Amino acid sequence: MVQRRVQLECGYVLHRRPYRDTSLLAELWTVEQGRVGVVVRGARRAGSGLAGLIQPFRPLLLSWAGRGELASLSGAEADGPAPWLQGAGLLSGFYLNELLMRMLQRYDPHAGLYAAYVAALHGLMADPRRQALEGVLRVFEKRLLEELGYGLVLDSAADTGAPVEPEVSYVYHFGAGPMRANKGDSATALRVWGRSLLALAREQLDEPESLRDAKRLMRGALAPHLGDKPLHSRRLFAVYRVRES
Amino acid sequence: MSVVREKSLIAQLAEALRCLPGVGPKSAQRMTYHLLERDRDGARRLAQALLSAVERVGHCSACRTLSESELCPLCASKSRDRTLLCVVESPADVHAIEQSAGYRGVYFVLMGHLSPLDGIGPDELGLAQLEARLDQGEVHEIILATNPTVEGEATAHYIGELVRARGIKATRIAHGVPLGGELEYIDGGTLSHAFAGRRAL
Repeated sequence: MVQRRVQLECGYVLHRRPYRDTSLLAELWTVEQGRVGVVVRGARRAGSGLAGLIQPFRPLLLSWAGRGELASLSGAEADGPAPWLQGAGLLSGFYLNELLMRMLQRYDPHAGLYAAYVAALHGLMADPRRQALEGVLRVFEKRLLEELGYGLVLDSAADTGAPVEPEVSYVYHFGAGPMRANKGDSATALRVWGRSLLALAREQLDEPESLRDAKRLMRGALAPHLGDKPLHSRRLFAVYRVRES
Repeated sequence: MSVVREKSLIAQLAEALRCLPGVGPKSAQRMTYHLLERDRDGARRLAQALLSAVERVGHCSACRTLSESELCPLCASKSRDRTLLCVVESPADVHAIEQSAGYRGVYFVLMGHLSPLDGIGPDELGLAQLEARLDQGEVHEIILATNPTVEGEATAHYIGELVRARGIKATRIAHGVPLGGELEYIDGGTLSHAFAGRRAL
């Protein structure tokens, strides 16, 4: 494989963990190169200053060089102020990162998805209320599936091709699309309101009902791509359910 | 005749020493020769100390830190303030706070931080044990002294939710400009934290 050298590319850190005595292994997510694994040598040494920068959710300018699966980070600079992801927004941010780690291959760039990620991080910062956060996550999931080529049909019925009507109940068939619900559908079928599908298509999830529908829809749509291993960041949200009950 | 040669004891010792942090093949070899040539007594003491520590050191049943007794000396001490509970990530953090901060309460050691991407969640950090401790009603304030990293913040927030749900006061240690530091050379993240956390004089 050819030696590649990349200079000052816009990106984020998705994940990092300690490596050897003073280094880090970091997973980067960049516009032009997609997901890249790098070693950050000496980052944990006192006074290196890198440890504070190599943190998730911080816009960075990254330089690295190397061949094969693992490159070596040669520089990192802050690209704008550090965002204030806090509280539930922070936990939601981990969820975004875990999704990207699980769904993306290395060196597979998706400029559109990158833009969606940046927009989602800003969305998480803008409004810390649970409902707003959930809306941001659902919109990101929808765009993620679209970018990877598994976009959901949300505006027309799969069997008749008729436009989705707001006041009609549909059953969502993955791989096909929504079909008008009827008595023959099984009890476990995924029922959603037409208005919820349309709200998700417009990316305006303001109603609790459409948020609930979108959540079930997205869980079902993501499940085949995530396999048997559960997403660990989902477990963290349980802390709010305890509190609200 | 067997072709596979047993590794010499010297080589085995050098390899065993490499499990220590910061010890590569060269330093392992130096340590090996030093122990065998010059300090056999030291080697014997080291071996015995290692063995007894590995066999007898467990975790404190109250705060989860490393301890050879059921309760660690800090938890067993009568002079500590049991209404104050400081949550830290590692036993090294307990040591650092004990050395400097003049803190008189007790600790809870998580032995890590929330890191969903590594599969480390509330269960791995013993948070059920922490909740049980909170439910006993002795604790009046929780000081969240996890590291100021993204994972440390998430951990502090998560525990903060558990604590507030029980009507107990939760506080987070301050982050800001280090003593003797100069603003010009401080990274932007720290500086913005320092500004957000400013206080009236």
